[in-house]
Amino acid sequence: MVSLPQRMRKLQTKLLAIRLGSGALVLPKDVKRIHMRFAQKIDGGHMGPRKFWRHELVRLKYHNPAVSMTIDRTASADDPALMSVHFAPADAPQTSEDSATSAPTPVTSTTQDSSPSSDTAAPTDRVQTIDMKHRTNSEILTELQRLTKAFPVEPTPEEREEIQMLEDHRVRSARDSKLSQEVRARQKREKELLEQARGDVASQAA
Amino acid sequence: MTAPRYCPACLSGLTSASSTLLRSTTTRTTTIPSAITHQIRTATQSQNALKYRRKDIPASQKKKKSRSTFLQPDLKNAIQFSLVDAMRYIRASEVGRPPTSSKYELHLRLRTAKNGAVVRNRLRLPHPVKTDLRICVIAPPDSAQAKAAIASGAVLVGEESVFTAVKEGRVEFDRCLCHTDSLVALQKANLGRVLGPRGLMPSVKTNTVVRDVGSAVREMAGASEYRERFGVVRMAIGQLGMGAEELQRNIRAFVDSVKRDMAGLSDQTAKDLHEVVLSSTNGPGLSLDGRFASEDGLGSKELGVA
Repeated sequence: MVSLPQRMRKLQTKLLAIRLGSGALVLPKDVKRIHMRFAQKIDGGHMGPRKFWRHELVRLKYHNPAVSMTIDRTASADDPALMSVHFAPADAPQTSEDSATSAPTPVTSTTQDSSPSSDTAAPTDRVQTIDMKHRTNSEILTELQRLTKAFPVEPTPEEREEIQMLEDHRVRSARDSKLSQEVRARQKREKELLEQARGDVASQAA
Repeated sequence: MTAPRYCPACLSGLTSASSTLLRSTTTRTTTIPSAITHQIRTATQSQNALKYRRKDIPASQKKKKSRSTFLQPDLKNAIQFSLVDAMRYIRASEVGRPPTSSKYELHLRLRTAKNGAVVRNRLRLPHPVKTDLRICVIAPPDSAQAKAAIASGAVLVGEESVFTAVKEGRVEFDRCLCHTDSLVALQKANLGRVLGPRGLMPSVKTNTVVRDVGSAVREMAGASEYRERFGVVRMAIGQLGMGAEELQRNIRAFVDSVKRDMAGLSDQTAKDLHEVVLSSTNGPGLSLDGRFASEDGLGSKELGVA
């Protein structure tokens, strides 16, 4: 078991990576759902979507916990890689949507049909799609930001301090590790030389 | 005595680093370069140090006394979270996963001795995590007991038919119960070698040999087992789609049950709850501080669905 401070530093680093970084955006209120559909493997330009999911979508979800984000990876490599952003209709009350997504159904088509949640109120959602094929995760992010007019999250002073503290510690620890590595290598060498010398003496005495 | 075999170049590098290991050999050699004739002051050479040096401890005492309890660090400096905050982090790191495959897990660290009795029990959560358990019941077929078992959802019921199937290696169930009257037949069938390693062998100790099979199956269908391993009790506590209130009820039921078990064992070994950690299939482990929501954090409403 590692010591508690060590454990907590590692946890802090992990949680900071969830909170801050690329993709830390606060979406406007009318975004109800984000659905991505891309292939299981990266061939044919499906790498960007996966990277986006692994890196940016985590932070997006942290800052927008109420927005349902689903992924469908049953597409084949030839299919388009699409991200559909569902907006609530401008005049509808913003409450009726959540029940539809509580059990994320395998949405088969994510194109403009906008009928996956049939039980929502009469005005259907406005759905806009982003083509993600052959695009990197950062390109997808800028496209999403442009589409939804989301604004990025800036680190607070405390978070900046925390980042600085962790960074300082990383530097210090790398330096110390190098130092002690040298010391251990030297001690090992001395020991070997000593062993060798002892062996020589013993063989001559015999 | 002749000079040893190593080269002087190596030695000069070593002695300038005030080696303690090589001192005995360097004093013997006569080929020390003049560059390192400075005084070497180390602990073994100084008279004072010799005086204060620790006497050789007998080998029997030298061995460190091993710890009899699990090491549990003080949680004063630990970062702890309220339930809703922890769920927010976990949901973020589970984003886009198939909703049926990801589960919340709860780890209860106990202050306990390394040996002695362990906490082990079954529990039916208020909101079950897994409902598609396949249960096998060993009871004479066509009996009233067998019918009751089938009625309450057992997949496989019988005596000889089950034994032959298991001997052929077809173990198509996740839990195994046995009626009290069939226990003798079961022990004669010699299935311990097959079922034992999978933890499926019914025994009185694990409460899987029962008289009322029907209600036991019903009890087991939504229940999950837990046991203490290395001072920690772990269990899947909820599906990722669950709300904060549901998860809270599950956690409360689980913690209460473990506390009851610990109280039951208190005459054998003293146990005490040390830390509650919420984790998930792919998420980080976050220590809970017992609050539902923090003042500046989200409420359970804003958390929304997974």
